[in-house]
Amino acid sequence: MPPLLQASGLTKIYGSTTALQSVSFELESGITGLLGPNGAGKSTAIKLFLGLIKPTAGSAEVMGEKPYESVEARSRLGYMPEHDCLPSAVTASEFLTHMAQISGLPPSHARTRAADVLRHVGLDEERYRSIGEYSTGMQQRVKLAQALVHDPVLVLLDEPTAGLDPAGREEMLLLIQRTGSEFGITIMLSSHLMGDVERTCDRVIVLDEGRVTEDGDVAGFTRETQSIQIDVDDHRAELVEALSNRGIEATIDGASLVVELGAAEEYDTIRDAIVETDARLRRLAPRRHQLTDIFRGDTQ
Amino acid sequence: MTQPQGEVFDLGYQRYDGPREGRMRARKALWTNGIRTSLGIGRGARSKIMPILFFAAVMAPAVIVILIASVTGLTDDLPGRGEYFTWIILLVELFSAIIAPELLCPDRRDRVLHLYLVRPLTTDDYVIGRWLAFFTISLILVYAGQLVLFLGFTLAADEPFKYLQDNWLDVPRFMAVGFLIAAFTTTIPLAVASFTPRKAYAAGFVIALFVVSSAAAGILTECDDDGRDPSSECEPLTGDNAKWFELVNIGFVPIAVGDLIFDEEDKSPLDVQIYETRGGEWVVVGWYLLLTLGPALLMLYKYRRVEI
Repeated sequence: MPPLLQASGLTKIYGSTTALQSVSFELESGITGLLGPNGAGKSTAIKLFLGLIKPTAGSAEVMGEKPYESVEARSRLGYMPEHDCLPSAVTASEFLTHMAQISGLPPSHARTRAADVLRHVGLDEERYRSIGEYSTGMQQRVKLAQALVHDPVLVLLDEPTAGLDPAGREEMLLLIQRTGSEFGITIMLSSHLMGDVERTCDRVIVLDEGRVTEDGDVAGFTRETQSIQIDVDDHRAELVEALSNRGIEATIDGASLVVELGAAEEYDTIRDAIVETDARLRRLAPRRHQLTDIFRGDTQ
Repeated sequence: MTQPQGEVFDLGYQRYDGPREGRMRARKALWTNGIRTSLGIGRGARSKIMPILFFAAVMAPAVIVILIASVTGLTDDLPGRGEYFTWIILLVELFSAIIAPELLCPDRRDRVLHLYLVRPLTTDDYVIGRWLAFFTISLILVYAGQLVLFLGFTLAADEPFKYLQDNWLDVPRFMAVGFLIAAFTTTIPLAVASFTPRKAYAAGFVIALFVVSSAAAGILTECDDDGRDPSSECEPLTGDNAKWFELVNIGFVPIAVGDLIFDEEDKSPLDVQIYETRGGEWVVVGWYLLLTLGPALLMLYKYRRVEI
């Protein structure tokens, strides 16, 4: 069985600009984040997997087929673009039914699927309203629904939380998580927001200047470190001094103190120092790596 | 307190294991959607006003002629099926100019085109599907009045069977001319619409194209009135070449081809001159093909190069 999605030496050059350079990776299941700053080559990679553009060299394959050569291969792919892509004059129900048919479903099945998927994204009640009357959050859900309406095996989401307020972003991330875990649909999520990737993805592929710089499980990137993070509400300076008096060097990292752990007994020493300075403790825990560390080159 | 009578269960997400009909279903869906969009079906009442008005206006001459024929019993002295197209061509062109851009412009403006092209459709499928949808509507528009005329004349005739025997050849004729008119009035507005995401710009450009070309042809074929005896025949300023300048009026070109097919006796004088010129009919047919196939190819080319 070929991998669900495979990039082999994938290269795309526009004139004098190299958007992707010899990128290789495979995708089988789960939610994978394609992370990188603007201009890293994320959108180019998605366009290549959708068959919208041809690679300059290498290949982009979905289920063993090249989407830019096999039009039929696209019928099992879903795509949610970053930009607006919805007609304003038609209802969500009519639009989704049409899109299901465009993906190859017969009309009666298309109508049923449209109703089912709109219910899943929480637009059951509003499905007969014109899309133009929807809020930004509702329109984002319609965009996700049209990507799912034909029950694809793989969905490519391009910046799915773009333009959403915090509540809308939260809802969208939950919906993506459900789509990946409960619905069993493989997802590749492109984002420049590390929080989105950290919250939703099992795996992360980091692109920078058209190259893969990191590739691995999110859990691996966010594993525990040998450091202890101490968050206190007050008496921070006194605590640093008290720790120093006990032979423990603490460094200030933002609002936290970070201590490199030597022996397990040092936990007791830290506790005593906190008691001595009467600092109000908020958190004392092993520190985890964050995805932001990837860009600092600090994941070892 | 009432006891609950039932319980609602959420079945959760259901995978789809029904039929998948691929690219052919996608093409059909695009065609059906194009027809619905043209007629304003599934949209607000305002979207339906224009198609209804145009259908009524195109049918009106046929209905009026049949009413006169049924009251007077005359069938031979009334305007015929060849002339019907001359009456309605402007309406059909106006209808196409206003409605056809609706099939292409919003898809580019709202960027729905992206969603089509990531599904089992190519840009050629998209363009051909949209073209066929509007062509179907145009065919219905041009055939409806002709059918009313033919059936009406047959029923109003003293001997309907004899009328059918004498005139049956008009059916393939009006079908052929209707086909050519529909192909022409579908292609030019859609080709123009492929260059802009704004419907109003496309419609305005197409209407201006027909109006300006008609005015230019009028000027080029104008009579030389200097010292002309009013009772004498019109002598165009451009002399013998006037017959060719008539073809500058591009909206008239399908009618000129239709005259060739219907072999009407009451062709315009310039039409007669064209057809009396050796090879004149080929010039008209060639000009028609250029005006129809040219924009069609341009449209396909334009969409193949569309930036996604």
